[in-house]
Amino acid sequence: MTLMRHEDLRLITGTGKFTADWNLQNQCYAVFVRSPHAHARVTGINCEAAAATAKVLLVLTAADVTAARMQSVPSGPEIKGIDGAIIKKGTMPVLAIDRVRFVGQPVAVVIAETAGAAQDASELVEVQYEPLPAVASVEDALQSDAPQLHPGVPGNESLRFESGDLEAVDKAFSQSERTATLRIDSQRLYGAPLEPKAITVAHDAGRGITVVHTPTQGVLGMKAGLSSISGIPVEEFEIVSEDVGGSFGLRGGASAEHALLVLAARQLQRPVKWVATRSELFAGEWHGRGLTLEGSIAIDHDDKIAAIKFHDTVDLGAYNCFFGGFIGTNNLSVTMGGAYQVPALYMQSRLVLTNTAPVSAYRGAGRPDIAFGIERLIDHAATTFKLDPVEFRRKNFVPQNAFPYTTANGTVYDCGDFHSVLDKALSQAGYDTFEQRRAAAKQDGKIRGIGIGYYVEKSGAGGAPKDQVSCEFSADGTLTLHAVTGPSGQGHETAFAQIMGDGLGIDPLQIIYRAGSADQSLVGNGTGGSRSLYGTGSAFKNLIDEIINRALPHAARVLNANAEDITFSDGQFMVRNGAGGISLFALSKRLSEPQQHPGSQEHPLNCTAETVTGANYPNGCHIAEVEIDPETGVTDIIAYNAVDDLGNVISPELVRGQVHGGVVQGAGQAFSEAIVYDDNGQLLTGSFMDYAMPRAGTLLNVETDTFAVPTELNELGSKGVGESGCSGSLPCISNAVMNAFASVGAGPLSMPYTPARVWKHLQKHQ
Amino acid sequence: MESVSFVVNGERVAVDVEPRSLLVDVLRDQLGLTGTHVGCDTSQCGCCTVQINGSAAKSCTMLAVQASGAVIKTIEGLAENETLHPVQEAFSQCHGLQCGFCTPGMIMATVELLEHSPIPTVEEIRQGLAGNLCRCTGYVNIEKAVQSAASNLRTMRDRDAAEASK
Ligand code: FES
Ligand code: FES
Repeated sequence: MTLMRHEDLRLITGTGKFTADWNLQNQCYAVFVRSPHAHARVTGINCEAAAATAKVLLVLTAADVTAARMQSVPSGPEIKGIDGAIIKKGTMPVLAIDRVRFVGQPVAVVIAETAGAAQDASELVEVQYEPLPAVASVEDALQSDAPQLHPGVPGNESLRFESGDLEAVDKAFSQSERTATLRIDSQRLYGAPLEPKAITVAHDAGRGITVVHTPTQGVLGMKAGLSSISGIPVEEFEIVSEDVGGSFGLRGGASAEHALLVLAARQLQRPVKWVATRSELFAGEWHGRGLTLEGSIAIDHDDKIAAIKFHDTVDLGAYNCFFGGFIGTNNLSVTMGGAYQVPALYMQSRLVLTNTAPVSAYRGAGRPDIAFGIERLIDHAATTFKLDPVEFRRKNFVPQNAFPYTTANGTVYDCGDFHSVLDKALSQAGYDTFEQRRAAAKQDGKIRGIGIGYYVEKSGAGGAPKDQVSCEFSADGTLTLHAVTGPSGQGHETAFAQIMGDGLGIDPLQIIYRAGSADQSLVGNGTGGSRSLYGTGSAFKNLIDEIINRALPHAARVLNANAEDITFSDGQFMVRNGAGGISLFALSKRLSEPQQHPGSQEHPLNCTAETVTGANYPNGCHIAEVEIDPETGVTDIIAYNAVDDLGNVISPELVRGQVHGGVVQGAGQAFSEAIVYDDNGQLLTGSFMDYAMPRAGTLLNVETDTFAVPTELNELGSKGVGESGCSGSLPCISNAVMNAFASVGAGPLSMPYTPARVWKHLQKHQ
Repeated sequence: MESVSFVVNGERVAVDVEPRSLLVDVLRDQLGLTGTHVGCDTSQCGCCTVQINGSAAKSCTMLAVQASGAVIKTIEGLAENETLHPVQEAFSQCHGLQCGFCTPGMIMATVELLEHSPIPTVEEIRQGLAGNLCRCTGYVNIEKAVQSAASNLRTMRDRDAAEASK
């Protein structure tokens, strides 16, 4: 019985190793004290009782962090706004100094011999708070008399950003007779990887290395973050990250908790372990989305789009953290024209600080939101002006002969075939016969709707200049691959082994993948922006060539032929005249024998390769068909059809899995998930009891397929897949629900379309 | 400290536990059975599902002392020697797992589900897994895995019955 993926055996037998599964000798345990207030002055912290408790080893507060000269949590890039203004930041201290700015912010940490003792003692830490008025929403934060979060950010506005040409857009709007505007909310979410955050840090004084066990998307980013906070050079960190229970953007960087465990482990000279509770993560881990887009569209007399503009407000939460600023600026604007030829584009975003948990990346990080914005706007315009949503899209698509296509705000889409993708999706979805199904549903008292979402997104993320990979052959013929990108469910071990196995003619089961091994000093990007397969995968493609080149002279020697007379295919080196051959696998084993290459310890085929590749533009058409029960407000996704252009596909199974997962995360946002704070900044959705995650049965029927237009921007011709599911599903589900509403005369509603909200909405329109 | 003993994966074990210790923590931290996971603190996620006296239970909802005398099976005890349980196989073959964090709980819940509903309807599958969250797969392939395991289990049972009647 062969298993589907290399990683499966350990995961189905319970022998995987997630961070909390590590137990180091002599380890002690950390528990955090967190702010119960959304905004308060901290006037004093009394740790005496906690510190005096049995089994307590250490209590750290801001004073200790300052004494250790720790810096703030990374606050993201220095983004430029309107008129060259640089982003104004409220940076997050590792432990709150003088003031807390959101519920769940770490204030102190207690370390004890047992987790129970640390928990008990943490309840004895007395923090004196003087509550301050809080702003829990962007609207409140932008009021002229709003409480101010950070002295360096007047008006709570961190940045006002723009992209595109305002003048051209204004002109187009003034000349168009038909214009429409729609406000779309992409509500705040919690990404909730199923593995709660856990960290264990051990300091190896002998080697001078601090070993950090943590889930991560890439060890280099983690090391860089740890170093920037602690001032300890990157070389002195080692990251251990074996199995990672989902990431979705939340495992991208070093957090306050990481830094504190480093500090504690070095002070105590003992390993320190922390396993978060889900509740503390709901409050204290960063959130995603939190965007409001006001989109406007101008349409000329022959139904061509003349201009699109967006005014966005971006909720950053209480501090500028990690990618928060990047999402609301670059990631929203870069594909703001969607799949359409739009002569004039303009976006303005206001990045605002509020007394809520910081917001950063969650699957798609702005990409699903802008796809949602455009595609809702297209459908809204079609409904408003009685245009056929399919024909309206077709008429405005970037035509196939226009690639490479430069959008009005300067993004270059390298390739695509939007018409063909749309056609394939329409036929797969039985779009033509929908009205019959709608009529049949009506007979049953149900309201059906169908919706299209055509997304174009920019995949690619990460600041590393290139992706490097390396390999090690061993005597038994196994091949170990190394790279930086860390898996968290995507199947890296399987996909990379498949690429190398296909190229070298080696059984993929003989190939092992290791991410971020400490003894390999490789440069590369972590997992993010859907880039691992095509970035690191392309470097592996180059590694294949490098290995074959290196092996050739050895094959010539073994086969007693001239290198020029030898060809390589299907894993075999063959002499042209058919006089003999040897497989690369056999050759590599033979070369493991020391006498084959005297004087060198290293296997002669061990080598490295790299690639430099940036963005590409996956796109696709998703079509949802929904049915609403007006009696209960319950909406079912009756059918879901996706056709994605992901370029060349390496593993169709893995791709389908990625699309399913992304689609259901989108469906979660559409129907149930929402992080809600009350007006005072208290978190109302602090656990899975009140934050409704999608469950089995969210998708009743799903069909996913691909239509490949290979990109020339990387060696594999592949495009990113990880985020496409969210980018396709948010708009198509929403358009389907709005289509159902429109059929009974009801107008738009914002997400989440929970039964209660849908029911109320329908009642209003009866 | 209280001392409790139970049978875990066929072996009798005795451990000293704090009265407040949850069963899941004892399994993981004291017995080293880290295949059972903890994904929440409100009994919602199902990552901690094990079998207690033959039926599936969330081991985070139970104190270790309450399990005294019980027969417990965890994910580590599901395969017989080297032979995977059909549910384990089906999860892999149908690509019903990505990160694998929910998987042990999903598998244990599925084993129970198929005991009650050997020919499960889609509705029964969804109900049977209602207490288990997965953030990665979108559940589509998990549902397929349950169907496929069900049919494999039936085939095995039929084969065993045929053998027995020979
Ligand atoms: S750990 Fe979530 S239900 Fe037990
Ligand atoms: S496979 Fe990751 S949570 Fe289910």
